[in-house]
Amino acid sequence: MTKTFTENDLLRYVYSETSKIENVEIENALLCDQQLQESYSQLVSILSDLDRCVIEPSDRTIQGILDYSRSSNLPSVLK
Amino acid sequence: MIRKEVSDSQLVSLYKKGDEAAFEELVERHKSRVFTTIYLIVKDQYTAEDLMQDSLIKAVNTIKSGRYNEEGKFLPWLLRIAHNLAIDHFRKAKRYPTIVMEDGSNVFNTLEFSEDSIESLQIKKDTHALLRKLIQELPESQKEVLIMRHYMQMSFQEIADATDVSINTALGRMRYALINLRKKMQKTNIAYDQNFYRK
Repeated sequence: MTKTFTENDLLRYVYSETSKIENVEIENALLCDQQLQESYSQLVSILSDLDRCVIEPSDRTIQGILDYSRSSNLPSVLK
Repeated sequence: MIRKEVSDSQLVSLYKKGDEAAFEELVERHKSRVFTTIYLIVKDQYTAEDLMQDSLIKAVNTIKSGRYNEEGKFLPWLLRIAHNLAIDHFRKAKRYPTIVMEDGSNVFNTLEFSEDSIESLQIKKDTHALLRKLIQELPESQKEVLIMRHYMQMSFQEIADATDVSINTALGRMRYALINLRKKMQKTNIAYDQNFYRK
């Protein structure tokens, strides 16, 4: 019998927070549960949108950081 | 020099020995994630640029003075610095929202001001800018979990511990954040990916 999974279970699954056993169970459930498949694809879709909406700082900001590091008179720690 | 095969931990070790190129690679690898985390909290690009610099300068000072704990991972550590600085700024901005210059402009470039100017212009040509704006409009508890899980890469258990709630509450907040984003997108009536999360 296939175990029933919740949206919370799917969330943990897409963020790789489920155990190996849970992974197998969820993947088996995804093969035969159309509603779960739909929830999964919708979840993956929005998370990939979140990935794509990242923004970058300006080159000026990055250059300022690198310049600070180079000019920093703090001693480097040699190990 | 790009060294994709070298781990963050190895780059930090090289940087400690004075290899500035190693630090440059670390910055290049993680600048987007750190900047996005800050930006989603403070809602203002200029403030985010300043806090980005402050975060990295703090990281530089910590590493170069030998106070960096090598047990932890570099990115989560850097993101914690950035998150804390952004939250501090956000709280101060909320506490002192009405300080103005002689010409009437807001000295802190407040959240409302920034939303109406830079971001609103971007939205017209950038759907992802709209998504960022919608994230910023989420209830604080939902936005916090979304940023911590998706951009700061904290586990749901770590988020639960950091925010003093159960893991189920953290998961529920994340789920509602995603549901709310979908609803807000529909409300804006902007053509978007029709596979957006439905519930």
